Amino acid sequence: MTLGRRKVLKVLTAIPVLGGLVAVLSPLFRYLKPNDGPWQIFTVAPDIPKGGDQVVGKTTALAKPWDFFYFTYVQKFVQYDPTGYKATNIPGVAVRLPHKVKFENLQGYTGYKEETDIALFQRICPHLGCIFNYIPDWREVQSGYGGYTPPEAEKHALMGCPCHLSIYDPSYPGDPGNRISGPAPRGARYFQFEIRGEDIVVVGAELGAIA
Amino acid sequence: MSAILDNLKEWLQDRKQHLDLFDETKTSRLDNPLYTLGGLIWLSWIVVIVSGIFLMVWYVPTTTGAYRSIEHITYDIPLGWLARGMHKYGADMLITCITLRIYRMYFAGEYKKPGELSWMILFASLVLGMISGITGYLLIWNQRAFWAAKTVLTVPTYYDEIPGFGNLGLGRAIAYIFLGGPAVGQATITRFYAIHFGISVLGLILAEVFFYRTRRRRLNLSPFVIALVVVFLGYLSFVRLTDMGRWANPNRTPLPILSDWYFLALYQVVKYMPPLWAGIAPALLIGYGMVVPFLDRTKETRPLERPFFFTVGVLALVYWIGFTALIMLNIAVIGRDPPIIMAITIVVMTLAFLWEIAHRRRKAQMRAATAKAPPAPRLPPGQGGRGGAAATT
Repeated sequence: MTLGRRKVLKVLTAIPVLGGLVAVLSPLFRYLKPNDGPWQIFTVAPDIPKGGDQVVGKTTALAKPWDFFYFTYVQKFVQYDPTGYKATNIPGVAVRLPHKVKFENLQGYTGYKEETDIALFQRICPHLGCIFNYIPDWREVQSGYGGYTPPEAEKHALMGCPCHLSIYDPSYPGDPGNRISGPAPRGARYFQFEIRGEDIVVVGAELGAIA
Repeated sequence: MSAILDNLKEWLQDRKQHLDLFDETKTSRLDNPLYTLGGLIWLSWIVVIVSGIFLMVWYVPTTTGAYRSIEHITYDIPLGWLARGMHKYGADMLITCITLRIYRMYFAGEYKKPGELSWMILFASLVLGMISGITGYLLIWNQRAFWAAKTVLTVPTYYDEIPGFGNLGLGRAIAYIFLGGPAVGQATITRFYAIHFGISVLGLILAEVFFYRTRRRRLNLSPFVIALVVVFLGYLSFVRLTDMGRWANPNRTPLPILSDWYFLALYQVVKYMPPLWAGIAPALLIGYGMVVPFLDRTKETRPLERPFFFTVGVLALVYWIGFTALIMLNIAVIGRDPPIIMAITIVVMTLAFLWEIAHRRRKAQMRAATAKAPPAPRLPPGQGGRGGAAATT
């Protein structure tokens, strides 16, 4: 193959054209995703939401096993519009489990530093983001969530998602809130919480959900 | 390398000359209703664009104003119901006609040379139509819209979990770019509004450039058919006022919840599959649609002469209807159904493959038999045969 004059000139002209293309594309990406710096197109670190300590309920509301209450934890999410952020509710459920567990999931996230029989789950389904429900009677899971019949050991209160019928067990051994049926790839995400007197205080939330 | 480029250029030139976007070159076949589909696509598209412009006059693209403004358009503004109905039912008609035309082109083998580019553009237009659909129905800001947007845009986040690639953050970046951040909110409406509007405007510009350059007639339908369609859409808008649904509530997902009709089958598939596969499967389906003209290399266009591709088409149609029916009947036993569906698919595809092989072998044998048969003796002029017949007349 001979490298003629024309070819050399063509290659030489291609360099600034390609450079120009990159120079145009880089700001274009940042036009669409403004919180990325130059050359950091796919970084999602600046999108991490911020919460803080929030009292979400009282331990007295969870007197008996399987008692529960819903709550919302508010976080500040980045938004690519003139306001720059939006306050978004993370719906949650607090459940009194029938026995004490280590509130840590298979992903290594710890929700409570000691053994506890109170568990706080984010209700944003870890599958595709719908809000799942706490279902005190497992028979309702069978009738309304795709006909799933849990094994004997799991015939108690469960959590089920209306969209794609993932079912979660709040007291799953070794991973409370783990998926027992449906397409979700993992168990429910946790809240990190502390108990101050009678108050249940959420101090953080496991990352990853689109709110 | 330059030879490949030259071939590609030549291929593109040739296919561009045979491009047919709205059946505008098939005017001689208009007696068959299946060949009015192209014209109906153009007509419904224009209905959607014009009614969309009317809606834009009153629509407020904000999380607090969107639902109320559409309610206002539907119930208070004179003829607002008509603008909204024409937009909604026109869009339904557009998707229906594109889908039917895809099936027509598939079963009639119209995607074969020189129709490859026309087929690819039609297939891409279905994808764009569906994107336009999902971005459009978020604009109502009702429950169905909110949860559809959220689930659809959570799917790309699983692209970060493709084994072997590590977490590059690309999937999340795609989701955040479309959502305008890691949550569904005001930025999402703004971006969806821009995409919804942009798809039609850019598409229309490209189609107009095409018509300007080819000097072809856009709409090959009789005024009677055009009037019938427009009146029918208007009538439908009047008798079946488009649904409002309930205002989007990010804290509560209704049970049960359904998507728009053309996503129902996909919705059912998402229940059955792990989410990464549910994200990859539609991409594979689109990929199959795009490359099918290059996989089905025979010159045959009759469906039964290409058994494998015929069966794949029938299977896709049966699944589309079957999954839609299942989700409407709220049947989805996650532990039971997927193995049955997988078994049916494997058996049917294997049978189709065997059918294709047997068919090809039979055809090859027939060809060999014809080749082996001794040629008919040439008779002298005046003693029968073609020459003789010509001589006697």
